[in-house]
Amino acid sequence: MLLVALRILFFRLLVAVPTLIAVSALVFVILRLLPADPAAMSLPPGATAEDLARLRAALGLDRSIPEQYLIWLGDLLSGDFGISIYFRRPVADLVSTALPNTLELVLSGLLLGVIVGVAGGLLMFRARGGRGEEALDVVSSAMMSIPEFLWALLLILAFGVAVPLLPFIGRMAPGMMTPPGVTGFLLLDSLIAGRLDVFFSLLLHLVLPAVALAIALAPLIMRVLRASLVEVAGDDFVTQARLRGLSEQRILFAHTLPNAALPTISLIGVQAGFMFGGTVLVEVIFGYPGLGNLIVDAVRNHDLPVIQLVALVYCVLVLAINAAVEVIYLLVNPRLRTH
Amino acid sequence: MPHSRRRFLKMTGGTAALAALGLPGSVLAQGAEAGQLILAYPTDVPTWDPNARSLAPVQSLYKCVFDQPLTQAPDLAVEPALVTEYSFSDDGLSLDLTFRDDVLFHDGSKMTAEDFRYTFYERPQQPVPEGGRRLDTAFLWRKVTDIAVTSPTTCTMTFSEPMPSAVTWLYFLCSYVVPKAYLEKVGLEEFQRAPVGTGPYKVVEYQQGSRIELEAFADYWNGKPAIDRVTIEIVRDPTARVAAIESRRAGAAIDVPVREADRLGQMPGLVSTIDPIADIVLLQITKNGGFKDDAVRLAAHYAINKEAINRAFFLGNATPIDAPAARGTPGYPEDFELGYSEEKAIDLLASVGYGPANPVEITFFTTNGVFPNDYDMARAIAAMWQKVGINAKVEAVEASTYQERLRAGTLPEATMYQWGNATGDPVMYAGYLLDPNSIFAAMKSEDLGEMIHPLLVEMDADKRHAGYRAVNKFAVEHGYTIGIVQAVKTIVHEERVHVTKYDNGWILPATWSIG
Repeated sequence: MLLVALRILFFRLLVAVPTLIAVSALVFVILRLLPADPAAMSLPPGATAEDLARLRAALGLDRSIPEQYLIWLGDLLSGDFGISIYFRRPVADLVSTALPNTLELVLSGLLLGVIVGVAGGLLMFRARGGRGEEALDVVSSAMMSIPEFLWALLLILAFGVAVPLLPFIGRMAPGMMTPPGVTGFLLLDSLIAGRLDVFFSLLLHLVLPAVALAIALAPLIMRVLRASLVEVAGDDFVTQARLRGLSEQRILFAHTLPNAALPTISLIGVQAGFMFGGTVLVEVIFGYPGLGNLIVDAVRNHDLPVIQLVALVYCVLVLAINAAVEVIYLLVNPRLRTH
Repeated sequence: MPHSRRRFLKMTGGTAALAALGLPGSVLAQGAEAGQLILAYPTDVPTWDPNARSLAPVQSLYKCVFDQPLTQAPDLAVEPALVTEYSFSDDGLSLDLTFRDDVLFHDGSKMTAEDFRYTFYERPQQPVPEGGRRLDTAFLWRKVTDIAVTSPTTCTMTFSEPMPSAVTWLYFLCSYVVPKAYLEKVGLEEFQRAPVGTGPYKVVEYQQGSRIELEAFADYWNGKPAIDRVTIEIVRDPTARVAAIESRRAGAAIDVPVREADRLGQMPGLVSTIDPIADIVLLQITKNGGFKDDAVRLAAHYAINKEAINRAFFLGNATPIDAPAARGTPGYPEDFELGYSEEKAIDLLASVGYGPANPVEITFFTTNGVFPNDYDMARAIAAMWQKVGINAKVEAVEASTYQERLRAGTLPEATMYQWGNATGDPVMYAGYLLDPNSIFAAMKSEDLGEMIHPLLVEMDADKRHAGYRAVNKFAVEHGYTIGIVQAVKTIVHEERVHVTKYDNGWILPATWSIG
């Protein structure tokens, strides 16, 4: 199985290269075609039209788009990600600081969404045909019909203001100091530093943003899992398991669920990609120092180097998730290992 | 202490038990501790190099950590800071400065005239590495030909041509003194990570886009600030800022929506202030398309009921303006009022063949959410125009699109715009907004240039101010600009927090106190 998994990863890597080039070219061209001028945005009072022309030349904006793209790609391949127009700092520094925070948020949201979604899907399946299923259906519909950013605001008003249980600003409690950066992942770094107070503060500050993201994912998993379970429950092997006298619980967890899991895994893979998009507004609302917050500033100021790298990072993450989903497929479905 | 599995389990187990019971102390800390102020603030600095970017909304943050040679009182009067005395030569080509001799940087080193020279002459002149950018101070102080240091506390700035605005620039954007020795020793990257200034607070923790932890500087030349520790939480979303102050997670929230500020001010324990500041909201006007005729542009101005806009969007707390300047500042023509008159607007439009039945068609750009009520005000103005015979198509654009169109000279007839000017000096208003040579001017009219260019080198302050008042009046009368209102600053804070309000909207915790 390891060999098959490695083969899949190798194939994915091969596909990733042209995908990344295509995505980077697309983003690059679209950004250049927009009627916006990052050079003019960043000039101070006292600058003249000649200064503007000089700056445009320095940023390469006076060259043809293919020429600009090839220069950017060449720099990228040599490890030079450029200097941010707005922040005036290396783009790589900005992204490498923000990325671990966003990954922590997305993984937390994903984990929460999967737990709630799978539990809800199983409950809906067990309650099928009854009032319980109807109630869960209403709940999941309500969860789906409200976008993440609105959930974020509702959660703040509910658990931050009305019943002030949880923090909703920033990444950790005011006055608390960031542990020394080892991995860049604050949760891990706080544990490495033995700072459990910081660790729990980080966890508490993750709760509401992660819930806001998870709420969008959980009902989808609930519905897809329930539908798959209902379909698999009608298969012959389930009837035979029942004839063998296995308990309903064992049939569900040992036979029905593993066979019904594949569509749910696909869905989680797809939704994990979307979840990165969802972080943008959620991070802004919660003042969370991740890629979403960074990209908002970058877009507002037409900071081309930052937008381009963040888009590329999102693309890499989505490709990595797709590869991971395929490997998980292999683990769950032995039949795929022979193909 | 070595980390063992047993110790780890003990610690995590114990903390988990605490968590189950409700974690105490720092972990669950959501509000301020004694002597600490938590501020919900809408913007972050792009970089901790204060000379790099001239962005008006972040000046208050820089002023916490760095000092300017001069500063301003709450009523905008100029006050000494690092510089105690200044005087121009008669020809306006040099400026003598005297500095305090008791100013320390946060690293304990003494600030001298050499640091001033480094900040305002050496750094801007430094060659720019490939891919790098010039500091904004390189543009702002481009007329400086040298700074001669005559002693640790005195120096003379010389200029290539008279620069009467030099004194104003000493308390405006980017003009923060940085430590030469420290910056040269640690390099820019480390300086941005651990900034050192002479300001009232030291940066002890910074998370980009999220949080700034400040600690009072005990050796501050103007006395240690009353508030020991300030946590600035960067909360971009206005609803979240409202929630932060309403839940008392923050001791003060800045720039909350006006209606929310009004509501919060009625809650026990909270105080709300909604005040006009020196920043202005105006329409950037061109002579393009339907606005090529003076009469149409002037009609457009007459047709705007600014009091109605004030009541609808600012609950009557804003101050309507005709000219591009804040009222009470030296360049505002106080003796001149254009007034609101639908009849005059209709008559003017009729004189050039337009009217409600035969409207002039224009495009009206506005941002949406860049400053409070921008889009809604544009829609309201478009509705007012429609009544008199101006059919405006409102288009929401990004600020970067506005800049591109401004650069290319292809802006539409009107654009809703906000201009920041903490100084109140008219050169920072009309001098940039109406000078046809300025990259910020939408109206490129040579008659304005003829009036403004002599003022840029006029050393007599009274003559200069009178000149700008005349420029502003002339510009309004010819429909070259349409002032709307002075921007509004909202601050909602706990009663225990005592706030100093500045007419330019500065938020300076060093001037605040708790208790």
